[in-house]
Amino acid sequence: MTTTPKTTPSARRVARYQTGTGRPPWQLSGSAVFIAVLFALPGGYVVWRAITGGSLSLLLEGRALRPLWRTIQLAVLVSVSTAILGTALAWLTVRTDLPLRRLWRVLAPLPLVYPSFIGAAAFHSGLTPGGIVHDLVGQFGFNLELRLHGLTGAWLVLTLFAYPYVYLPVAARLATLPSSLEENARLLGDRPFQVFRRVVLPQTTSSIAAGSLLVFLYTVSDFGAVHLMRFETLTQTIYRNRLFDQTRAFGMAFLLLALALLVVAAERTVARRSAQIEVTGDRSPLNVALGLWRIPAAASCSLIVGLALFAPALSLADWGLFGWLQQRRGLAALRLDWGDLASATWSTVWISSVTAVIAVAVMLPIAYLLARHRSRLGGVVNSVVIAGFAMPGLVVAISLIFWTLHASPFEFLIGSMPVLVFAYIVHFGAQAVRTAQVAVTSVPKRMDDAARLLGANRLRRLITVELPIMAPGLTAGAGLVMLSTMKELPATLLVAPMGFRTLTVEIWDTYEALYLAEMGILALVLVAISAVLTWYLVVRRANHLA
Amino acid sequence: MMNIWGTPDDAVAPSGLSVRDLSVAYEGPPVLIDLSLDIAPGELVALLGPSGCGKTTLLRTIAGLEHPASGSVAVGNRVVTSNGHFVPPERRRIGMVFQDGALFPHLDVRRNVAYGLPRSERNSSRANEALDMVGLSEVANRMPNTLSGGQQQRVALARALAPRPGVLLLDEPFSNLDTTLRLRVRAEMHRLLVDLGVTTVFVTHDQEEAFVLGDRVAVLHEGHLAQVGTPDDLYRRPADRWVATFVGDANLFRCNRPSGSCQTPIGEIPVLVGSDGPADLLLRPEDLALTEGSSGTVELIEYYGHDAMVHVQLDNGPSLKVRTNADLLHRRGDRVAVSYIGSGAVALGL
Repeated sequence: MTTTPKTTPSARRVARYQTGTGRPPWQLSGSAVFIAVLFALPGGYVVWRAITGGSLSLLLEGRALRPLWRTIQLAVLVSVSTAILGTALAWLTVRTDLPLRRLWRVLAPLPLVYPSFIGAAAFHSGLTPGGIVHDLVGQFGFNLELRLHGLTGAWLVLTLFAYPYVYLPVAARLATLPSSLEENARLLGDRPFQVFRRVVLPQTTSSIAAGSLLVFLYTVSDFGAVHLMRFETLTQTIYRNRLFDQTRAFGMAFLLLALALLVVAAERTVARRSAQIEVTGDRSPLNVALGLWRIPAAASCSLIVGLALFAPALSLADWGLFGWLQQRRGLAALRLDWGDLASATWSTVWISSVTAVIAVAVMLPIAYLLARHRSRLGGVVNSVVIAGFAMPGLVVAISLIFWTLHASPFEFLIGSMPVLVFAYIVHFGAQAVRTAQVAVTSVPKRMDDAARLLGANRLRRLITVELPIMAPGLTAGAGLVMLSTMKELPATLLVAPMGFRTLTVEIWDTYEALYLAEMGILALVLVAISAVLTWYLVVRRANHLA
Repeated sequence: MMNIWGTPDDAVAPSGLSVRDLSVAYEGPPVLIDLSLDIAPGELVALLGPSGCGKTTLLRTIAGLEHPASGSVAVGNRVVTSNGHFVPPERRRIGMVFQDGALFPHLDVRRNVAYGLPRSERNSSRANEALDMVGLSEVANRMPNTLSGGQQQRVALARALAPRPGVLLLDEPFSNLDTTLRLRVRAEMHRLLVDLGVTTVFVTHDQEEAFVLGDRVAVLHEGHLAQVGTPDDLYRRPADRWVATFVGDANLFRCNRPSGSCQTPIGEIPVLVGSDGPADLLLRPEDLALTEGSSGTVELIEYYGHDAMVHVQLDNGPSLKVRTNADLLHRRGDRVAVSYIGSGAVALGL
């Protein structure tokens, strides 16, 4: 990218001569553009198919808009409830004298370990005959008829498993908000509640908004939980029509894509306008004494963490243990042996590690472009990558399947591993780009200058100076991608090569076949692995994620 | 004088440095305009100027970290930057110490110092020698974040010196240190650089630091070299009004035709360097003394310990700064007179 004025050769030489640190080298711009084109491909294909395939006229029917309306309804409900729940929990655990605060701070983000469909399956199976809740109530002579389904069920389950997306950024913000702000507000005459409303809340809004945006995207792209709750959102319509009514499937995919991108664009416009103080102080924030309210506050925390973290685990463990005991007593054999379990676990760990490493490697040039050079190109590429994140996994999957089917030189890619990894990276790459950007920024430009003046060339600087300094940040980014990949259901379900069975696919199939005991065991393994990763990432290294 | 690099066989003569017609521009007005500066081998030159004058840009352009729009830079006889020719910084053999040291946080002190050595020398005793020079061999195995700010700066100096650079650049190397530490580290580095005889260019915004360390001082103002000279030159014979007021405290008296002498509110002043047209006479505070009398009032006293600065408002003229010795005879509000005790003033054309 050189701008050459139309002048004499010598003037042109001067212009090139001026190409300093501000403008990115062509290798960097080139790879960033290449990556952006790849990222835009699945979305572009959906738009192209929707326009050329006549899907858009379908959208004029009232019937077609019903799934859209249901999707919006659910997404707004879940966003609002998680915003309230996440903020309240964050405030209680970070800013008050709640008993066992440190324990709550560790437990509160952990519901992230459940993919929504496993959470939904755990609630469902717990309430059906044979499930722990149903049978416990049955001990007292009641026949529990309560079933979770529809809007209420989907809303409840998604709220419980998505609130950490609000909790984490808000808690981080509250923890670093300098106490001097609040002390000043007090000195200027505000009462504690006024301080919260006039100082704390405005300084937290952008974190709440960012968290709610994640929840909104999580909800509109959710596939498993709404399927289990039999609540037909756009993802369900797409999934149902993907084989026999592609026109409708692509029309709905187009709607879903438009909805997601619109919300992201709106949030970014609003976020750009809000003014925030830069947090620098290392002073501990003010704590509010709850007094008598400590007891109800602790009870609420127990209830939420109990429902979102322990109840699903108990329900799954109950089914798993039941199945295992049945087998031990020779009553019924589990349709799952250690070999199946081990191979599914291995597939999951393997594919998500590979995806994570590739994602970080691919995002590194973009991170460099964003962190080291001021160029319009960087902004555009970043938007494309974020759009990839906003694009639901199901839409990426549908797009890639039909693209590989129809694009004549690329048929050999159908159902191949590279396409699966590509789908994951388009969907989750943004998680790595953020942390990679933080990592690149954490290497001061002076460090690079110093190494240059000591005679190190580009490669030596990268290997001996930059990568070692960036390592913790990059590892955190890879971990986030790995965590998301191993929990991902629809893309895996649709794009994975024949016979490549990850834990999510096995869990899905066993649940659909109503082998609840097997489902319980598989789900517990997945939850255990992602719990370890979450622990490592969210609880121990949260500083690299901001 | 001790051999530059400790042992005779690896002695490298320090290089001179020559900057010719250098212009640097980003978007907007140029940062440096047609700037030329010659530095002799072994010389210690300070680049002095207010923030934003382009002094750091000049240093970074010499290092090759910035690309000039035109002009050339030569280290010794080797042209490293000229129109159409650009030697990348990693091949210039120029050492640089950054404001905060910029030590690699993941490498211990010894490996930091060895970083710039050729592969074959990285495990040799060269790194230890460099650490010895700055008197820090005992911290060779520590990590940078366990060192004090002054130690970090000395390690950074050892790291820059280890590969035997032809020229050493220092970018405000003491500005991150607190006052007492700054004076100590400054004195140590000064002695070392003089002993080694290495050609050194350093940037500072602190006039005292430039005067104390610099054999010569180059004053930059808005992208131009306002004046280059020895500290004494700059202080006694500044090139213009701006330099006069930037380096040191100045009392200025307007004078219409300064030749021979000039009449001022404090009497007749002999003029050393005249001017054809109207000019300002420069009277440094130490050229003035307080005497018995009643031509002005003491407004303000700044007490420094080794001396004091007394601000006197003349009844029939401007306010003057007078440097007196530390045993103060006057208090705020006292009536005094001011007399000239210098040997002649410089007239600065308007």
